[in-house]
Amino acid sequence: MAHSSNSTLAHHFVDSEQQFDASKMGMWIFLVTEILFFGGLFATYIIYRAWYPDLYIMASSQLDTSMGAINTGILILSSLTMALSIWAAQHNDRKKTTIFLAVTIICAISFMIIKYFEYTHKFHLGIFPGANYTFTGIDHVKAPQFFSIYFMMTGLHGIHVIIGIGLISWLIFKNQKQAFNSSYYTPIEIIGLYWHVVDIIWIFLFPLLYLID
Amino acid sequence: MNGHHQLSLKVLLGTALALGVLTILTVSVAKIHIPSPFNIVVAIAIAVVKAYLVVMYFMNLKNDKKFNLLSFGFSILFLLILVGLTMLDTMFRVEVIPGF
Repeated sequence: MAHSSNSTLAHHFVDSEQQFDASKMGMWIFLVTEILFFGGLFATYIIYRAWYPDLYIMASSQLDTSMGAINTGILILSSLTMALSIWAAQHNDRKKTTIFLAVTIICAISFMIIKYFEYTHKFHLGIFPGANYTFTGIDHVKAPQFFSIYFMMTGLHGIHVIIGIGLISWLIFKNQKQAFNSSYYTPIEIIGLYWHVVDIIWIFLFPLLYLID
Repeated sequence: MNGHHQLSLKVLLGTALALGVLTILTVSVAKIHIPSPFNIVVAIAIAVVKAYLVVMYFMNLKNDKKFNLLSFGFSILFLLILVGLTMLDTMFRVEVIPGF
């Protein structure tokens, strides 16, 4: 095999195909740990719901279904534009790659803005996680517990969205410096995988938290 | 040249459309108040279908190396073990642990 002149190929890989697959596999292993990371919270959710089914029905009424639904739509759109940015990179279309990545970031920021309004509304009512809970509108002794679970799950998800915004911004920066083309777009691909997992987590959080009633 | 799977614009847009329709469906179904526990079953079933679409078409696991599919499958398996084994404990206690 001829020596590659490809500057993106590290010397310990046979070819860029092998390098691409190795990067992708590494990302999938990381995503497995992410799923199990959130899995602990989902397990907590399930166990408490099995213990206190009435609590979930009562407390869920404090969550705004339309805000949750809009955020679901926003994240689906952002997943689409993330995938489209890879499609654009595969077609050597640098401008479109940047546009699709930028739309993804705009969606992510919109998601966080809506989340901010949801959180501040709850804080205003005295709905805080744990011992700071002062809201009296839900007649259930375990009401603070539901909102601790709510804040931990949506909070950890929100942190992932913010990290995603940072990663995708870096992709735009690199793309503008002409780092990617149809034969090398590995960072877009694997950050895309991360972003889709963030979307999947929300796909489950939305019905589990907002649509109980 | 490279064996990377070329994404199809039609498939990506179709997937997004299906996800949008399923989101509207899950909100509508929640509004008609199916008796418990079937409301949970329906909500989770729709979420699983949506997650399947994202994993297979957006994340392109359908055309990816089988090892990645295997890794993903194991993460779900171990999640079910985590939830299942824990519930074998928590659901069969005479009393909920005091303070929980």
